[in-house]
Amino acid sequence: MRLAKSFHPKRMNMNMTSMIDVVFLLLIFFMTCSQISKANRTEVELPQLKGTDDQSRSEIIANIDSAGRLTVSGEPYSVPEFVAMCSREAARQHDNDPSRLMISVRADRRGDCRTVNQLVSGLTKLGVTKVRFAVKSQP
Amino acid sequence: MRLSSRKTKGPTVEMQMTTMIDVTFLLLIFFMATATFFPAERELSPAIKVNKPSSAQSSSHVEPAIVDIVRGDSGYMYKLGGREFATADELLAVLRRLENKNDGAFVRATNDAPFEMAATAIQTCRAAGFIGVSYVPKEE
Repeated sequence: MRLAKSFHPKRMNMNMTSMIDVVFLLLIFFMTCSQISKANRTEVELPQLKGTDDQSRSEIIANIDSAGRLTVSGEPYSVPEFVAMCSREAARQHDNDPSRLMISVRADRRGDCRTVNQLVSGLTKLGVTKVRFAVKSQP
Repeated sequence: MRLSSRKTKGPTVEMQMTTMIDVTFLLLIFFMATATFFPAERELSPAIKVNKPSSAQSSSHVEPAIVDIVRGDSGYMYKLGGREFATADELLAVLRRLENKNDGAFVRATNDAPFEMAATAIQTCRAAGFIGVSYVPKEE
């Protein structure tokens, strides 16, 4: 009597190439995103309020810390320098119409209004009609 | 002459992928997790003015609502007309009763006023139903 040959299961080969491609793509995406968001937004404690709007896209983000220091993309700016930069951006992107600039002000809730007031006065003289104050929603 | 029937084959190189995939997944999960740690920011979008609100164009004869951030005996307070309010809820209750919602509201803050109170006043005016809210730096 002839017995059956011993059973050898077929070796399964997983193709890992596509998975590694996707994983690396996601990894690079998240690393890049986290770096970009850190570059534009410095660490400030925002006011917490109920019923505010979703944040829309901004062209210029001004960060004001609790001591009143103004920074843009990590670089310190004085208020006149910031207003001049906004003027250049308006000329470059909006045909010299500063009212179309989308400026977001991220001011620390522990600070006072001094720098915010100087900024608002400078921007109003430039022709900006609206700014966005960044806040957090109240839990 | 008998030639070798075997073709020359180089040694098979096998990459050890297990460790690399472990590390990659670890990094991926870390970045995905930290990306969701920060809640999305929201915004207030007041108009900005430097003119005195009293000189602003008004569609009615009723004075527009002007909320000042003033220093009281027990710290900063909200001031509307002649009345002072310690909390935003008290201010909201009074603002809701005003009828001239279409004329907009103005929030004025001096340089020394806390920014959080100015932001709260803007949002309180919006919550009370004012169509447009303007932020005005107050000259001292």
